Parts: sequence; C-alpha cells; structure tokens
Amino acid sequence: MTLKQFIFRAALLLGLITLTPALVLAQTSVTTGVNASASVTGTSATVSASTKITATLAKAKTRGDTEIDRRTAALTDLNTRVQAMQKVTDAFKQSLSTTVTSEISALATLKAKIDADTDAATLKTDLQSITTSYRVFALVLPQGRIAAAADREVTLVSMMSTLGAKLQARVQTAGQGGADVTALTAALTDMASKLQDAQTQAEAAVSTSAALTPDNGNATQMASNTAALKAARGDIKTAQADLVAARKDITTVTAGLKAVAPASAAASTTAQ
Amino acid sequence: MAKWIIGIVVVILIGVGLWYSGVLGTFMTPPAPVQQTATTTPQTQQAAAQPEDGMSANNDASDAAITQDTAAIDAQMQGLTTDSANVDTSLNDKSVQ
Repeated sequence: MTLKQFIFRAALLLGLITLTPALVLAQTSVTTGVNASASVTGTSATVSASTKITATLAKAKTRGDTEIDRRTAALTDLNTRVQAMQKVTDAFKQSLSTTVTSEISALATLKAKIDADTDAATLKTDLQSITTSYRVFALVLPQGRIAAAADREVTLVSMMSTLGAKLQARVQTAGQGGADVTALTAALTDMASKLQDAQTQAEAAVSTSAALTPDNGNATQMASNTAALKAARGDIKTAQADLVAARKDITTVTAGLKAVAPASAAASTTAQ
Repeated sequence: MAKWIIGIVVVILIGVGLWYSGVLGTFMTPPAPVQQTATTTPQTQQAAAQPEDGMSANNDASDAAITQDTAAIDAQMQGLTTDSANVDTSLNDKSVQ
C-alpha cells in the first residue's frame, strides 16, 4: 500500500463515518414526516366525521323541535279558543281543555328529551314518537276546532233568534199599520227554518266528533275517525251556510221595515 | 176530628216546605217561547237571560237596538269564518316523517 492509497482509504472511511448519521437522520426525517402527516390526516378525518354526525343530529333535533313547536302553538291557540266557548257545558269545556293541555305537556316532555339526546339511535326513536303522538294530535285538534265552530254557530243561532223576535214584533206592528208585510213575514219564516237547521247541524257535528278516540295506528279506526271528522266538518259547513242565509233574511227584513215604516215610528219599540 | 185537623196541618206544612225549597217551582216553570226551544245536546246549555256579547237588551226592538244586534251578529259571523277555516286546516294537517 502506497502512501497515496492509505490516504485515500482513510479519507473514504472518514467520509462514511461522517455521512452515515446524516443519512440516518434523513431517513428518519422522511419517515417521521410521512407518519406525522398520516396521523394528522386521520385525526382530521375523525374530527370531520364527528362534526358531520353532530351536524346531522343538530339538524334532526331542529326539525323535531320545529314540528313540536308547530303542534304546541296550534294546541295552545285551540285551548285559548276553548276557554272562550259560550254554549257548551263547563264540564265539556273542562274535559276538552284538559285533553289539550295534556297533549301540550306530552309534547314539551318529548321536546326536552330530543334536545338532550346524544346518540343517533335514541334520537331516531324519539323523532318517530312525534309521529306516534301525532295520532293524538291529529284527532284532538280537529275535535276541538269542530267543537269551537259548533259553539260559535249555536251562539249565532241564539243571537239571531233574539233579533228575530224583535224583527217579528216590528213586522207585526207594521202589518197592523196597514203595510204589506208578506215578503217580510216570509223572510222571517225562512230565517227561523234556517236557524233550526243550523242548530241541528252544529249539534250533530259535536255529537259525531266528540266521542272519537285516537286510532293508535289502527288503520280501520283511523279511516273511521277520518270519515267521522269529515262528516262533522260537513255539518259545520251546512250550519254556516244556514246562518249566512239567515243573515240575508235579516237584511231583507230590516230593509223592508225601513221601506214600509216611518223611521220616527220605530225609535222606541219594545219586543214582546 | 183532631186527627183530621192534624193531618190537614201536616199536609199544608209539607206543601209549604216543598214550595219554599223550590221543588214545586221546578215543575211550575213556564215553557220557553217557541223561538227559544231549539234543542241542545248534552254538551250544550241554554242561553242565559243576559244578552249575548254586544247585543242590546232583549226587549229593545228600536232601530238603534237592531243596528247594534246586527253588528254583534256580523262580528260573530266573522269569527265563524275563522273557526270554519281552522277546522279545514286541522283536518288537512300532515305528519312530517
């Protein structure tokens, strides 16, 4: 081995010794970098999925809350209307109000549970129970609305009957004074007939709908309830048409009285 | 003779007692006028003697009273329109799945 060869080999060995740690570091660096990157990506995916699930749950909760709020608002409005009913018995009014209040309370409990749900399976079950409770809501609401409309119709029958008695007295007085009151008498007769029918229809609407019970998913009973409620609605509409006709009769009579009797003569008439 | 007198007094006292308690009065109530005899279901009750909301006195048939009564009826008719629409809405409500 010459001196030149010794120096070359020594330099080569020294170079290898010097470079090896750097190569190892470089290798480690690359590997660590990849691993770190992979790890961060996995965390990001997990966070993303978790965020997505949370968003889905929140969206479902919002939808459930909206449905419950809508029904609660409708029932609350109905309860206010029930309190203003005039012609039903206190017991009937109380019974209806209690039913409505119970349903509102049940919906509030369900809403609180939905808002507190933390897993999808439980939330799904609770959201489905909105539909289950809907069976009650779908009956209670129209029952109450029909009862309220019927109550208003009976109230109107009473009011128009009172006015009819006054108009009859006035027509009688006008007739005794020599006026031709044939048309007015006919209008009063028609009015009485319409009021009688309106009363009958309003009572039928309540009788048809008041005794119905929730179907609890029974398709046959659901169809039966739906048919009964629609029939009751038909009764309400018929009574309403009767009352509109009776109101026109009132206009006919009042206009006729103005035509046949001097205004001064009618200033202080007393009904019998 | 004394027994007869005592018996008659007892009968009179019973009669006075019934009259005072109102039992006889129940059966002596005159029938309602023809225009007030519309039948009611068990859920409804007869109108009280007081005028309905917004109506004039029941025995006032003056022009002013008739105008007042007509206005009160029209207000209730508007309410009935709302009630009837609410019936339709309640029957058309759909469950959201």
